[in-house]
Amino acid sequence: MEAFWQRLDFWFRASVPSLSTLLMTLLDVSAGPIPHLEMVLPPLGFMSLFYWSAHRPDLFPPAVAFSVGLLSDIINGGPLGLSALLFTAAHQIIWRQRSLFAGHSFYMLWSGFSLVVLIFIFTQWALRGLLEWHLARVLPVLMQAVLAIILFPLLCWLFIRLQRITASAN
Amino acid sequence: MQPDTTALVRAHSMDLLAPLLEAFSRPALAIEHVGESLHNLVSLRAENEKLRSENKRMIEWQNAVISLDKENRELRSLLKFKTEPPVSYISARAIADIGGAFSRGLVVTAGEADGVHEGMAAVTGDGLIGRVIETGNWSSRVWLISDPNSRIPVTIAETGDRAILAGDNTPHPKLLFLARDASIPEGAHVVTSGHGGIFPPNVPVGVLREKERGSFSVIPTADLGKITYVRLVDFNLGGGAFNAIGNKVRAEGKKR
Repeated sequence: MEAFWQRLDFWFRASVPSLSTLLMTLLDVSAGPIPHLEMVLPPLGFMSLFYWSAHRPDLFPPAVAFSVGLLSDIINGGPLGLSALLFTAAHQIIWRQRSLFAGHSFYMLWSGFSLVVLIFIFTQWALRGLLEWHLARVLPVLMQAVLAIILFPLLCWLFIRLQRITASAN
Repeated sequence: MQPDTTALVRAHSMDLLAPLLEAFSRPALAIEHVGESLHNLVSLRAENEKLRSENKRMIEWQNAVISLDKENRELRSLLKFKTEPPVSYISARAIADIGGAFSRGLVVTAGEADGVHEGMAAVTGDGLIGRVIETGNWSSRVWLISDPNSRIPVTIAETGDRAILAGDNTPHPKLLFLARDASIPEGAHVVTSGHGGIFPPNVPVGVLREKERGSFSVIPTADLGKITYVRLVDFNLGGGAFNAIGNKVRAEGKKR
């Protein structure tokens, strides 16, 4: 029985990165109390993906990045597979370059995130424009990126606390 | 993959996700309720006065409407006027705002099992908000009139001028193809024209906003940013062009 609880505890800790990314993706589309907020709401799921790909890639495999992207496509109704592809590609890039992001000062992480999120959001904008043959307005897209950069420290604070939970799941 | 298969996969996955999304939308709904009741408490007295005077006016209107309705029915029967088919409603709760910077839509808690089908109009008490584009068993996806893909034939109620209401992902959709010489007062009412056979004529859509760079935009009567409950309406018009195109695509898909 003891072993069962230990294993359950381990699985819970190990699934924190995936679960938090899933929750953030759902939070992004939840009908919120502020009107028109969803138009500029930052990509919370992607922010979570960035943090975990840089800090706990062992608990955040590419399959999870792909699934969360696919989920986002299903909910948001864009071209099926676009977010899945972008999330997986972003995961690979962040994971390979994680020595640049993680383990240095917070400002290094923040500027790394700013660069990655700008590339992500504008690649998504350009690809959707190409696939749907209609470019969306730039301003809301830019606002999304700016809000994501401003809110990053707040989310980071939350993720650092969550990362402590995962500490014993090695 | 066929476009139809993708839509099917999406609709059924949405069914599975709907309970999760619903649970997630609860806290926001609770916050909204608290805010609303606080606001109501503060403005109780003023609201009461306003309602009293409004009520007086409404009673006068009601008397006028009853006699006009009777007259209208008598005249219609004299003319053998073809009456419109009866309307059926399904009410649902919005559980997700979808699309973000790219499109505008909602996920609502009613699907095929409740009698929802593609092409139904989505309205709130104030006016038209969009139409159903995808249905699962228990959930459906609604495209708002502000979505960049939305095109709705409308009429200016005051002058009878026709135009197309086109969403552009801003809170105020634009009016396209309005006759250049049309002289339309600001604040004129925009209603559906009934062309295309999806919406019946005269469903309120919005109010005309000041001309900007030579084109009019419309302030929707329903607040598109604050939709909690939606009524999905079947006007029993046979779905019109929307379903005709959908059926053609499906028929072609089956042929292949």
